[in-house]
Amino acid sequence: MSDQNATLGLSSVDRSGLRGMVSARVGTWLLIAIALCLPMVVGGSWVFALGVCFANAIGVLSVSVLVRYGGEVSIGHTFFSAVGAYTVAILDTRYGIPLWFSVPLALAFGVVAGILFAWPSRRLSGIYLAVSTLALALAVPEIINNADSLTGGYEGLYVSKPLVPGVKMSLQRYYAALAVLLAVTYGLSRLRHSRQGLTLLLAKSHPAAADAFGTRRVWARIAVMGISGGIAALCGAMLAFAGSTVSPSGFTFWAAIFLLVGSVVSVYGLTFPRALIGGAFLTLIPQFLSASGAWIPVLYGVALLGVILAGHYLPQLTQAMGRRKGGA
Amino acid sequence: MSGLLQDLFPLVWSGMITGCLYALGALGLVMIFKCSKVVNFSHGNVAGFAAFLIYGFSSGVLLELSWGAAVLLTILAVIAIAFLTYAIVSPLVFESDLTATIATLGIGLIAQGATLLIFGADIVSLDLPVPRFSTAVLGLRITGYDLTVLAVAVVTIGALFFVIDFTKLGIAFRAISENPFAAEVCGLNLRSVHLFAWIVAAILGVVGALLIVPTTFLSVTTVAAFMLQAFAAAVIGGFASLPGALVGGILVGVLMNLFTFYVSPEYSSTFLLGLILLALNIFPNGILARVEGFRV
Repeated sequence: MSDQNATLGLSSVDRSGLRGMVSARVGTWLLIAIALCLPMVVGGSWVFALGVCFANAIGVLSVSVLVRYGGEVSIGHTFFSAVGAYTVAILDTRYGIPLWFSVPLALAFGVVAGILFAWPSRRLSGIYLAVSTLALALAVPEIINNADSLTGGYEGLYVSKPLVPGVKMSLQRYYAALAVLLAVTYGLSRLRHSRQGLTLLLAKSHPAAADAFGTRRVWARIAVMGISGGIAALCGAMLAFAGSTVSPSGFTFWAAIFLLVGSVVSVYGLTFPRALIGGAFLTLIPQFLSASGAWIPVLYGVALLGVILAGHYLPQLTQAMGRRKGGA
Repeated sequence: MSGLLQDLFPLVWSGMITGCLYALGALGLVMIFKCSKVVNFSHGNVAGFAAFLIYGFSSGVLLELSWGAAVLLTILAVIAIAFLTYAIVSPLVFESDLTATIATLGIGLIAQGATLLIFGADIVSLDLPVPRFSTAVLGLRITGYDLTVLAVAVVTIGALFFVIDFTKLGIAFRAISENPFAAEVCGLNLRSVHLFAWIVAAILGVVGALLIVPTTFLSVTTVAAFMLQAFAAAVIGGFASLPGALVGGILVGVLMNLFTFYVSPEYSSTFLLGLILLALNIFPNGILARVEGFRV
């Protein structure tokens, strides 16, 4: 019976909504095709910047996942991306292990780090969690600098092992980042339809109902943090590979805030185009404004406020417009 | 044993002095949080901007004023900034406190950028016009700076508690923190009380920044970094309790001092992280919270 209702409901879905979904999917595929062909058209420095942009897009996704599935805001995700980045860099420079092994390992470490952080903070929510992630972000550069025998301290490490020997390194950096970004967005789109994903969403929006169905909030929180930490670690791994160097200056408190800014600017979207918007915002704007660095925080701040205020006022505006149209 | 005590006593004393400053910062955060449920992440950056403004007004970079006039002018500017911030944030406050909190991050970024644009990334020094003297009491070196900090902190915090406990505005503030809906039904204007809290917090931030800067130097990040300890203090105090913020500030000051001296000066932020996580787990409502039952 309920199945019938569901299909009936589907058939009466607004046509324009369906068309919008189809065109969005076509747009995504088009964007992927463009991203795949771009290195043949643009110059070397752009290929490099776009590779870093893809890596940052993954980081933006990791923050957005936490917002979407956990309802929580983090300003400390540089911790997890640092875990990923240093896993790749240390395995590369100290042990000569290439990306094939270090990226899965980075993912695993990121998930473990996420869970390890989620456990002591499992009962915190809202601003309390935000503040404890802030402390997490602050501790990162300090830990990296002090473990300099392993991490290279201030100077950082240089990642140079090729993924596929014989192929041009700049192309490898670009395509590796793109491939991981695509894999993450695909994984997230599957998560949205999976049983686990729906459970997490239920635990976020109706905790009592989720409890009744046997999903404990603590479990949901730890799962979300694990997923988010893992994605952030992938971001770090790709930042290390696509950006070729890792150093503590890439994982400051401000970098963590910028990840959140990117996530807000992409309206917490989990799709490929949205992630690209966030990543581009974090990578390409500093590229354009490199001559006048002080404008970057101002611009980020204004963009952050702009998106938030637009999110607040746009529904009211459209409502008012609709009312006027209806009245006339 | 006596050697240990000899170290311990001055460490606790100087920790208390910096702790008072953390408490000033934390009180501002808590005031805003208590009534509008927003964590003001722009607090440190705006206070840093204010410290730079005082420097700019008194050193001839922007104007050439006496120290007192510069402070007065800066406080006016900071009140204007607080007003503006609240004007931007207030529509969000009533919708989602988390969104409003993110918005304050945006304001912090703008303040940071403005500081960089106007004053550059250079390091400057900003001194307090306090008498330079030091005496030794029980093997403890007490300087004019210490006494100034203590006096200013006691007067400021005393005045704040007086206002909140005994004036009409303070009662309105407490009513709104307790139950905004009921307070509004009784005819209180939420926005004006919110604005009062934001302005007081901004002024507390300026006072804290002014007092902390002489111990180090003034750069774009010093005051913001100092405010992060204030965050820790506020968290330990429970984020919704003014006396808790005071106790938390002093506790953080003393513990940080002891940790850097006895354990390691390099891991102070990590220590702070551990402290925050520990405090949030053992005392989720702050160290001064009453033990209450839960209704399920």
